[in-house]
Amino acid sequence: MNDEPNLSAEELIGRLSPVLSPWRRLRGVAALVGGLAGAVCAGSLWATEPAALPGRTRLAFAVFTLVCLAWAGYGAWLVTRRTPLLALDRVIAGWFALAASIATTVVIVVAAVQRGAGLAPALATGAVVTAVSAVLVVRAHVRRAALLRRKRELTGRGAPPADPLDGTDPPRGR
Amino acid sequence: MTDELLIVRCQLGEHDALTELVRCWHEPVRTYVRGMLGVQRADDVTQEVWLAVIRGLPRLREPGRFAPWLFTIARRAVTDRLRQEYGVAEAGAHQEPVIEDAADVMVERAVLIAALSRLPVREREVLVLFYLEDLSLEDCAEICAVPAGTVKSRLNRARRLLRDHLTEKGSKR
Repeated sequence: MNDEPNLSAEELIGRLSPVLSPWRRLRGVAALVGGLAGAVCAGSLWATEPAALPGRTRLAFAVFTLVCLAWAGYGAWLVTRRTPLLALDRVIAGWFALAASIATTVVIVVAAVQRGAGLAPALATGAVVTAVSAVLVVRAHVRRAALLRRKRELTGRGAPPADPLDGTDPPRGR
Repeated sequence: MTDELLIVRCQLGEHDALTELVRCWHEPVRTYVRGMLGVQRADDVTQEVWLAVIRGLPRLREPGRFAPWLFTIARRAVTDRLRQEYGVAEAGAHQEPVIEDAADVMVERAVLIAALSRLPVREREVLVLFYLEDLSLEDCAEICAVPAGTVKSRLNRARRLLRDHLTEKGSKR
């Protein structure tokens, strides 16, 4: 029996690539946000249809909404159970969610205005998802800023370089 | 670079830091898992440990206390594996596989590993953490979720059992 390590660090890193690669980590966020946005848009268009729809059209709406919800569920499972979201991932995910929320709000509000029905629910839904996304963005930036501060303390650097993702200017020296 | 800095960089999401973390701590984790479960199952469980570690990194609030946190996760993975295989963690402790063919490895090392694998799980655990991983009594106590005094008594018992096994082995030669 060989007592030497069979699994080298490099092999292990290869096996861990789904959690080590930032783009792979963000796949779950893309599925979650895209699925939710699609489901909200489809559901909103379906609900504000002025006339009764044919059976096949209703079926198509239902299938599309279900497919979007399935993607959202898969994304939620990935994000909560399979892949970690590190500080930079959270910032990117937050902005992605905010952009998708605003785009979804615009779509459902325009549809509601054109059809003259369901404006209040559309505005309420848009406000809620946008507010939630904005809170996530702020929290992600706060957490990342705290970690960057700690990193600077540990590396003993004085004035930090400007970080475009922080949205704040670095403190000025004398 | 300190462990804390490396962990902070990992929590920030720096890919280089994550791979460096795995490179730095792969061997200690594998040594612990191998000491607890034997060579055959070390790779699978080591990979499970690393998946749990990386998934848990965003929730680690004290980056300076990485080592005890890491070995707490490793211990949980080892305990889960033992429970799966034996029903209860300690039931199969005396049935642990021993090194069957020591011809390929240094004899002394094989004897030591074989003797280690015959120790009860609790004693083996503190021996591996304290001597092989070089952790402090306090860290061992935190990882095992027992008072430091209990770790000391388990260490004493582990040393005595190990000495008995090695003496027995020596007298049979």
